[in-house]
Formats: sequence, C-alpha cells, structure tokens
Amino acid sequence: MSNFTRRLPVYLLLDCSGSMTGEPIEAVRQGIKALLSELRSDPQALETAYLSVITFESTARQITPLTELMQFKEPELKASGATAMGAALNLLIDCINKEVRKGTEGQKGDWRPLVFMLTDGSPTDTETFKQAVQSVKAAKIANIIACAAGSSADTTYLRQLTESVLMMNTLSAGDMAQFFKWVSGSIKMSSKSLDAAPGGAIELPPPPQGFVVVP
Amino acid sequence: MGGIVEATLVGGKKIQYVVKDNPPRGGMKYTYFAPDKSYVVQFFNDPAITKDPNLRKRIAAILGKYNPTLSEVDGGARGNSDAMASYFSGKFCWPTAVVEAPEFGIVCPAYPSNFFFNENSSKLLPIKGQDKKSNWFTSGTRKYLEKHELGDFRSMLQIAISLARSVRRLHQAGLAHSDLSCNNVLIDPQNGKCVVIDIDSLVVPGIFPPEVAGTPGYIAPEVLETMGLPFSDPGRRLPSSYTDLHALAVLIYEYLLFRHPLVGPKLYSKASPEEDNFLGMGPKATFIEHPTDRSNRPKDLKYTIQDLGPALEKLFLEAFVDGLHHPDARPTAMEWEKGLVKTWDLLHPCENPNCEAKWFVLHDIHKPVCPFCGNRASKESILRLRLKSQLRGKTGQWVDAGEINAYNSMPLFKWHILANVFPDEKADRDMQAYVCRHQGQWLLVNHAIQGLTSPSGSIVPVGQAVLLKDGVVFRTCSEERGMVIEVTCLK
Repeated sequence: MSNFTRRLPVYLLLDCSGSMTGEPIEAVRQGIKALLSELRSDPQALETAYLSVITFESTARQITPLTELMQFKEPELKASGATAMGAALNLLIDCINKEVRKGTEGQKGDWRPLVFMLTDGSPTDTETFKQAVQSVKAAKIANIIACAAGSSADTTYLRQLTESVLMMNTLSAGDMAQFFKWVSGSIKMSSKSLDAAPGGAIELPPPPQGFVVVP
Repeated sequence: MGGIVEATLVGGKKIQYVVKDNPPRGGMKYTYFAPDKSYVVQFFNDPAITKDPNLRKRIAAILGKYNPTLSEVDGGARGNSDAMASYFSGKFCWPTAVVEAPEFGIVCPAYPSNFFFNENSSKLLPIKGQDKKSNWFTSGTRKYLEKHELGDFRSMLQIAISLARSVRRLHQAGLAHSDLSCNNVLIDPQNGKCVVIDIDSLVVPGIFPPEVAGTPGYIAPEVLETMGLPFSDPGRRLPSSYTDLHALAVLIYEYLLFRHPLVGPKLYSKASPEEDNFLGMGPKATFIEHPTDRSNRPKDLKYTIQDLGPALEKLFLEAFVDGLHHPDARPTAMEWEKGLVKTWDLLHPCENPNCEAKWFVLHDIHKPVCPFCGNRASKESILRLRLKSQLRGKTGQWVDAGEINAYNSMPLFKWHILANVFPDEKADRDMQAYVCRHQGQWLLVNHAIQGLTSPSGSIVPVGQAVLLKDGVVFRTCSEERGMVIEVTCLK
C-alpha cells in the first residue's frame, strides 16, 4: 500500500569555521553518529524523521540533502574559514522550499521542519544574517533551536533568530555528546507529539544538566 | 552523578535503585532501574503534580482495590482469585508500591525479557535492549526486523485478543487507561503476547481525571477536537473508557492489517500540515475503508476488513464509521474480545510455504483464498465444524453457537464443547480433544472429555476418535450444556 506517513524534516546547521578545528569538530562528528544511532532505535523517529546537514564556514553548503535515516551517510566535516551564518540561513530557506513537501491529494504534507543550529562564534556576514533572519521569521518556515557553544559564542545574534537559545559552556566532547543526545530526544519527542491542535507550541525535553536556556 | 541510592516506600520499606544522568524519560515520568533490573522506580517530570492529593488518592486506589494483578485476599480487586491475579500479572505492568522519599514516585515490575529486543532482533538497527513498542511491528519499520521477530497473522490475532481482554478487565472495574497507544502496549509477536504499561495514568472513578491528552494517532477525535478548550470547560472531552475504545480499535486494526485506519490520501487542509492533521484525526476524520465515503481510501488496498470475516468487519465499521464521531456507538472491549475469539476459530493455515501471514480467516469456505498471498486452499484441507447448543430448558431445540475451521492438530477446549464456557481469564485452558488428519481421513481424538458420543450414539472413550465425515452430527459431551457438532467437508 502507498505510504501516507507525514515526514518530519530535520536540518542541522553546523558551524565549521576555523575555530572548530580539532576536538570540537571531532566531537560534532561523534555527536552525529550518536544521533543517528539514537534515532534509528526509535520506531516513530525512524518512520518519520528525515535528516539534512548544512555546514557554514566562509560559505554555506548543504552537504547532505534531506535523507531518510536508514539511507543517511555520515558527512565528512572539515573546519576552516569564517562564520557565514547568514548564508547558511539563506541556504536553509532554499532547501526547505525545495525539499519540504506541501500536502496534496494523495500525499501528506511534511511537518514543519525542526532546525538545530550549532555555533561557537557569531556571524561574520552580519548584513546577510539580518536579512536572512527577517525572511526566516516572516515565512515561519521552521521551528528553530540555536545552541551557542563555548565562551566565544555570542547569543545576541541567535536571539534575533529564535526564542529557543541554549548555551553550553564548553566545546568539550562530553558537552557535545549531551547536546546531540538532547537533539535526538527533541526529535523523538516531536515525532510523537506533533499532532496537538494547530498553532500549539512544539514541546521539547528539558535541556541537559549544565546547559542554560538564554531568556 | 550516579550510583546506587535508596528509596523509602510508603510503609517504611527501603529499596535500591541506580541513579544515572539523563534517565529514560516519557511524557509524564522518568525511570531508574533496580540494581538487578527486576523493577523500576519512576518519578514525575513535573514535581508540582505530586503535590496534588488526587494523584496520591488515584495511585493508592490503583495499587489496592482496583488492582487485578493482586488477589482480593492480598488487598487487590474484589472477587479476584489467585489464578486471575496471576493471569493478569502477565498482561499488565501494574505498579506495586508508592515511593515516599527522596520524592513521590512509584515502583513497577520490569517487563519480562521477551518484550525487549536482543542482539538477534535486527541486523540493521541498534535496538538491542529497546522495548518492543507495537509500532515497530505495524509500520514501515517492520522491514528492518529479522523475520523470526515478526510472528504471523495468528500471533497478531492472539495479541489482539489479549489486549481486548486486558482492556475489558479495566473497563469492567470502571477504570479507563486513558493513554492506550503503540507506546503503552508492548507486543511480542513471536509468542503472541502483549503487556499494557503506564498504568498510573488510569482514570479511576470518582477521582479527578489526569490531564493526559493521549498519544497522536490514538487520541479519540472528540478529544483532539476539544483539546483547545480550557480543562474546566464543559465542552472539553477528556480521556475515558470511550476514548480507550477508539484507541483499542485503532491498535487492533494496526495489528491485523499493518496500517492506520484513518491515515489515507485525503487532503483536509492546504493551509498547514498541523491543520490538515488536526482535521484528519479530529473533527473530519474519515475511515480509509468507509463503505460509502471513499475520499480517504488508498487506491491500492490489497486486503480489507472484509477479509477478516463478518464479525470483525462489523466491529470495525461500528468503531470507525458509526462510532468514530459518536463515542457511545463504539464496540465495547467485551464485544471485541468475543468477535476476535470467534474469528480465531475461523483461522485456516495457508498452504503457501512463502506466505508471510501463514494464517488467514477462512470465513467463506467456497472462496478459500488467502487474502495476504492469494493462494487458494485445497479442498481436502477444508473441514468446517458447526457448533449447536441446546436452548435452556427446551430439549431438542438447537441453535447455532459458532463455527470452527479445523486443521491438523487443532486443539479443542472446554468452550468448544460446553455452551456456558467463554474463553476468558477464568476458563480452563486444558485441551479436551484435537483434530487430526490420518491416512486421508479427519479424526477428532478424545483427550479428556467424558461422554463424547459418536454419530451412531456410542460413547467414545478418552484416547479414541470420532471419524469426521461430511454431514455427520454428534454430541461432544454428556453434560447438560454440552454442544453438538455438525461436520462439513468440501466435495
């Protein structure tokens, strides 16, 4: 029989600027591995969640298009260059327009995408960033959660983008692992609770111990 | 943080549990395990609700006078015998104690190990140690599991009967589960077993209900539709035994047909997926097999409720056509239990060795085709036994009391030979007789019946058999409520 499952698109926007070189980028790589493993052991997530990875350094690139979990291959991540966060948001809008299905007779429309952005700095393309934030907000195209990692991360910009801003103190492997664990918890929870009356806020699990929700 | 700590139970007893970072967390509670994993200790995500006296009253009632897993003598449900308590202990993961310190919580037994995946369950997925939530087996994720995990149509029907019986037992006591779903019913298709978990959100009569909406896909349309209203609004529909009956029907449909009864091609709203979903699962929900409104019907339905026999077809129509938006028209759990048991007796083994369902409901012996693989059953394989029972106090007046499709080594139980026995938790499950194919002939071998009578009227002792030929009629036992069997073979 045809499949009428409604997909949950998940976009990971990952900062791969030069400052992520070494342990941080390796921790992100491990984080994605753990994330996949977690999601593949949850039937609802496995059935509904689709994953894409967009990286940003001096430019932004979608290194994995929206892919079902069983087909997802871990991307190769390299850290170098600046922090083109604005370009990443513009690319996110393009990808969502292209990849996220609208409902038609015979095919279920996708859920509103869930976007997790992880950065250890602040945008270097601030003008582009400001415009991109306007477009993202105007279109209400996604539920965005931003995470500022480490002492140089600046939450001011992130708070312009979304009300959901998390802060983790270090870029250590332990913190990163916790962050990705929380991301998988959020995806699992969303894939189960997406259904409440329209307009309701999405529910996310409480952030990991040691993480601060920036008001 | 971590290590073994102690909890104090109501009554002062102390038990140990292992504290871990980021413990497994559900919608309401999080869980720590016993050092030997034989029980779990659960605390509430929101400590504020543990201050609610209703919660404590409710849990005390669940542990005591409403507890079907504890005999009346031990403080459980009224009229509950040891045998019944033990029967239902395997069907529910029922809380066993209340934790007073370090904070309010509950103790539950761990699920038996057959409800967890092991290292052989899947070659593709890292699911060792995960619990067997129903939807692993009923959705697209089936294909990632090893074949031996999947069971067959008969074992899924067995699970459906077991679940209907468990829900009937709850409802019989006036309880409602309030959050029946694929997450709260673990199933083991390999062994045809299921266990109902998350018992602490039960709705107990006379105590203010819990604020649980339910799980997407299993929430009754009227609950979803009124979820936006304030809790105290009289129009707000809350989980109850009626909403359980919606969830129960959805689960049974999923177990038998591997699809959701309301998820089809129909587009309810172009505005947003949330609205489309809200309308399609709520106020505008339409059964994908609605007999007249075909707007939500997938074009490529291979098998339908008609293939499940008349009893289940009728129940599904009542649940998803008449009762979808009219809660009081939904079939009761007792009706499901009866219809499913009736259907069990119509099972026929598919002769196609590659058929994944292995069994199908042979309701019309003149169209003996397996709906799952299309294989036609051979005429020799079909043997229909029609049961007749005597109207009480009216000697010689016999009425239809059921039909059985017999197959080689099929067992007959008390409920097949006595009109006043129903296969519930009280029934004697010892085999009374069995059907056997021997040298091209069908035999009914007496295993334990006193007074089995041959078609010619002589007594057939234990160990001997009745020859089952087309048209023969014989009495199964000499007891007053003993039934008569009429045999039909295909020519």
